Amino acid sequence: MIDNLIISLIAIVGAPIIGGLLFGIDRRITARLQNRFGPPILQPFYDFFKLLGKESIAVNQIQMMYVLSHLFFAIAALLMLVLRQDLLMLMFIFAFSTISLIIGAMSVRSPYSKIGAQREIMQMLAYEPVLLLMVFGVYKVTGSFMIQSILDYPMPLIYSLPLVFFAFLYVLTIKLRKSPFDFSTSHHGHQELIKGLTTEFSGTQLALIELTHWYDLMILLGLIALFFAQPLWVGILIALGAYFLEMVIDNICARVTWPWMIKATWLIGVGTALVNIIGLYLRP
Amino acid sequence: MGLMNTSRMKSPWIIHVNCTACNGCDIEVVAALTPMFDVERFGIVNVGNPKHADVMVVTGCVNPKTARVLKNIYDQMPEPKLVLAIGACGGTGGIFAECYNVLGGPDKVIPVDAYVPGCPPRPEAIIDGAVAALGLFEAKAKAMKEKAKKAAEKAKAEA
Amino acid sequence: MEGYVLALLALATLLPAFCAAICYVIKNRAVRNFVVVVNTLVLFFITWEFVRLLMGSNGSIRINEGSLPAHLGEVIKYLDVLLLGFIGYQGLKLKKPLIVALTLAQLVPVIFFEFFMGVHEPTAAFVIDYLSVVLILLISLVGPIIAIFAIGYMEEHEHHLHLAKTKQPAFFMVIIGFLGAMNALVMTNNLSWMYFFWEVTTLCSFLLIKHDENEISITNAVRALWMNLTGGVAFIAAIIIIYQVKGTLSVEDIAVAPVAGAFTGLFPIALGLLCIAGFTKSAQFPFQSWLLGAMVAPTPVSALLHSSTMVKAGVYLVVRIAPAFIGTILGDMVAIAGAFTFMAASAVAISQSNAKRVLAYSTIANLGLIICCAGIGNYVALAAAILLIVFHGVSKGLLFLCVGTIEQGIGSRNIEDMQGVMKIMPVTTIIMVIGMISMLLPPFGVLITKWLAIEAAVSMPLVLLLIVLGSACTVVFWSKWIGTVLTMSYKPKYAIENIPTSIKAALGILILAVFVVCVGIAPMYNALIDPQLKAFHLTDKIQLIGSQGGLWLTGGSNVAIGGFAVLAVFTIILALFIAIPYYLHKGKSADLRAPYLCGENIDSDLRGAEFMGPGEKPAGTLVRNYYLTGAFGEEKLTHVLNLIAGAIIMLMLGMVIR
Ligand code: SF4
Repeated sequence: MIDNLIISLIAIVGAPIIGGLLFGIDRRITARLQNRFGPPILQPFYDFFKLLGKESIAVNQIQMMYVLSHLFFAIAALLMLVLRQDLLMLMFIFAFSTISLIIGAMSVRSPYSKIGAQREIMQMLAYEPVLLLMVFGVYKVTGSFMIQSILDYPMPLIYSLPLVFFAFLYVLTIKLRKSPFDFSTSHHGHQELIKGLTTEFSGTQLALIELTHWYDLMILLGLIALFFAQPLWVGILIALGAYFLEMVIDNICARVTWPWMIKATWLIGVGTALVNIIGLYLRP
Repeated sequence: MGLMNTSRMKSPWIIHVNCTACNGCDIEVVAALTPMFDVERFGIVNVGNPKHADVMVVTGCVNPKTARVLKNIYDQMPEPKLVLAIGACGGTGGIFAECYNVLGGPDKVIPVDAYVPGCPPRPEAIIDGAVAALGLFEAKAKAMKEKAKKAAEKAKAEA
Repeated sequence: MEGYVLALLALATLLPAFCAAICYVIKNRAVRNFVVVVNTLVLFFITWEFVRLLMGSNGSIRINEGSLPAHLGEVIKYLDVLLLGFIGYQGLKLKKPLIVALTLAQLVPVIFFEFFMGVHEPTAAFVIDYLSVVLILLISLVGPIIAIFAIGYMEEHEHHLHLAKTKQPAFFMVIIGFLGAMNALVMTNNLSWMYFFWEVTTLCSFLLIKHDENEISITNAVRALWMNLTGGVAFIAAIIIIYQVKGTLSVEDIAVAPVAGAFTGLFPIALGLLCIAGFTKSAQFPFQSWLLGAMVAPTPVSALLHSSTMVKAGVYLVVRIAPAFIGTILGDMVAIAGAFTFMAASAVAISQSNAKRVLAYSTIANLGLIICCAGIGNYVALAAAILLIVFHGVSKGLLFLCVGTIEQGIGSRNIEDMQGVMKIMPVTTIIMVIGMISMLLPPFGVLITKWLAIEAAVSMPLVLLLIVLGSACTVVFWSKWIGTVLTMSYKPKYAIENIPTSIKAALGILILAVFVVCVGIAPMYNALIDPQLKAFHLTDKIQLIGSQGGLWLTGGSNVAIGGFAVLAVFTIILALFIAIPYYLHKGKSADLRAPYLCGENIDSDLRGAEFMGPGEKPAGTLVRNYYLTGAFGEEKLTHVLNLIAGAIIMLMLGMVIR
């Protein structure tokens, strides 16, 4: 019990710090890829604190509530991850976090934020099946939905689920809203639909969304690490490698349209995951 | 205050408003945002959304139609905020100053904190102006706090 | 003891019938309202008594044929014929040869079977076990509340229609009578009696859909009738076959796990036919169109059909006979058919902008999921099926009532028109949003059952894929809708809603029920559902346990292999939803900014609904949701989906015939 409490506390405090640093490194590496010098590594934290110190303006007074529930449910998902709970429920809670933000963006009458929200819904339509199939693949291998059992499983999951892992990497790009899938909102220098989903959030609200984004990153990287959970440090290294890959993809891809994304994700993402899972059935 | 202030200085997000400019200044502003000059070194990001912006970079002079838009965008930016007027037009109306429909520089409509003269100014000058203006953030934040305090007191008195 | 149970039973079925008659005969409004309320209270009491008695019994309350009034069986036989005769007469009156033909197709076998074959009625006429009680709870709690809602609603409804003579007596008669028939249907152990009540519900739904008596409602009512009659034909055919093969009509004896090698011959076909009967009643693809057509009726009718009665009869039948086909090819095919409906209905729902149609498709989808779970048939799946019957019934009843109220308030049932409804009808909107959230998000029941369904479907990849795709689609149409109704501006001036007391009461009770079933999921599971699953004698390794305010899956050695603490998450959400609005109430209006519109806002407009257009004139903006009609359009998909669903059902029969 006490152990769990300590782990939870470390996760709640530590995750955003690491997440923020990773985003800082991301921006730096992106700059280098574009032959620039780039901002300091601590830049995301500067942005965060600056936003906290801004005047709090709003379009309606309920907006903040959606932002908070966006944040809280991301934290809840993270806790479920570190406390090694049910993986499938984790995905649902994680989805709740995103839906909160969508509803928040739709709660104002700005056309930009509304269209951004619609596109985000389309993203969910694209990646939800893949995430659920991934959970299912994990069950098929370990015989349990608990994350604990993945850690207890003697072999890394990647041996049994290579294609599922590939599908998950594909989905990761959508989930992180990186190019070519950054059409619901976009990051630092880029603009899409003004700022899409986050157009009408400002000051503290935007800071909290940014914070949630760090948590999201940590959850996703944690899920990647699960594929290589034996030993855990390999998993962490691979997760970092995967993130580096995302950066590269972000820099070499142009933005696609959302109908294209849905088709491609259902075809490639769901397709490969399914091939893998059917393979598991055929395996003696 | 220290952390907040450092953060403000190190993360000025800008919004660029073209307000009846001849496009000369705008080309230079955009040039300043290219990898060549790499303003992201200073944490500067062009956000294009007043609700996220800290610094408004306004080019050109003001006419009755753009005045409304300029004011609106300025009002939508949350405090503390800075305004940087670019070019000769941004200062006085420049070569358009005498036109029948020109009111003058942006400072006729909104408070301007810094001017970058030139027709158009070079990107280096623009960056220089922006970085120099950042020093004003501390005072601005203080003013914001005082204003909030006064408003709170007033509300209390009324209640 | 026996006598008391008998009295309760009589009350549960005959009281609604009696009240119905009063409603019809005495055409006084006050009397009618009084009768509806009394009926409600008595039904609540009966439900409570049944739960209490069941808890004290050893698994089921039984009433033997002998203790019933003599000749009851005979009476039901004649009523059966009378009923079919009446349906046939309706068909003749409306000049629909199809109806007449389908009625004859039932009437002839019924007469032959009941009067010439010398059927032995089973000794236990009524067996009330946990599943029955769950259904009784649903029927007798949600049903009467909808009747109460109807008191206020029908007043308003007839006001709009400017009728010369009120048709409410007939309306309330059918609605209340419907509840009695449903109660009887879930309690009886005699398949041929069940068939009788089954046909009663068919007739009731026909009368209710036809209620407004305009062209479209008659067309749709006729469609509902013939589709359900098809199910009736399948039902009577199944009864005859089962009696031939098994020599009994006792549901208890039919719904037992097949002995090795016993699942051959005609018996599986009979079960398949029963499933098809269930499919028609539960509006599964390709029979979905009757339920979609049914929403032309007044809202309480839709609410009733969708939540506690009618469609639940279909899934009840499938879940009831599930033990007989678990683990067989028939079970697999039922699971695939159900999962296909879940996916198809969810996908089509994306393209709908009519709120009631979205709800209807969502109902079809959820029923599909229930049937799918019954087909999968392991411990967890059946738990999910029964839980979903409850959760769906409560939430969907609530949602229909909310949409009906909003429709009367804003004069439209289009989702796009619901933007800003928060300002006009704040209380109803919030209740509706909670209802929608309970259909979509954790920790509410529907999501939990979806979670259970996915965890249960691991043995069947195709089913799993269909469920997974379907659940992604449900996210789309619900979140679009929630986002639209919650659109609001800063500190708007809320209107005070002016809605009748009966509507307020109905919404209030149902929203409470939504919370109660959510918080009480673990105790409810332990008290009512777990014993039922035990009674099914399932032999799965994986079990479901309700403890610590949540549900946990356990493998062979009591190790949790999946689980979710419902109560914990519920507490967080509740805290969030109560604390934050309070905290934010302090927001100052000085912080107000209109949405960003490229600087072209209209100064006086803080909502941001209009741009300043050319010539300094306001130009409105119109932002609509994505409906993806290109990919998920109803006209486009329905034929294809119907064909596939039809093929699956054909395949289902074909595979068991072997
Ligand atoms: S200052 Fe010169 S370059 Fe800039 S807008 Fe005015 S005229 Fe054009």
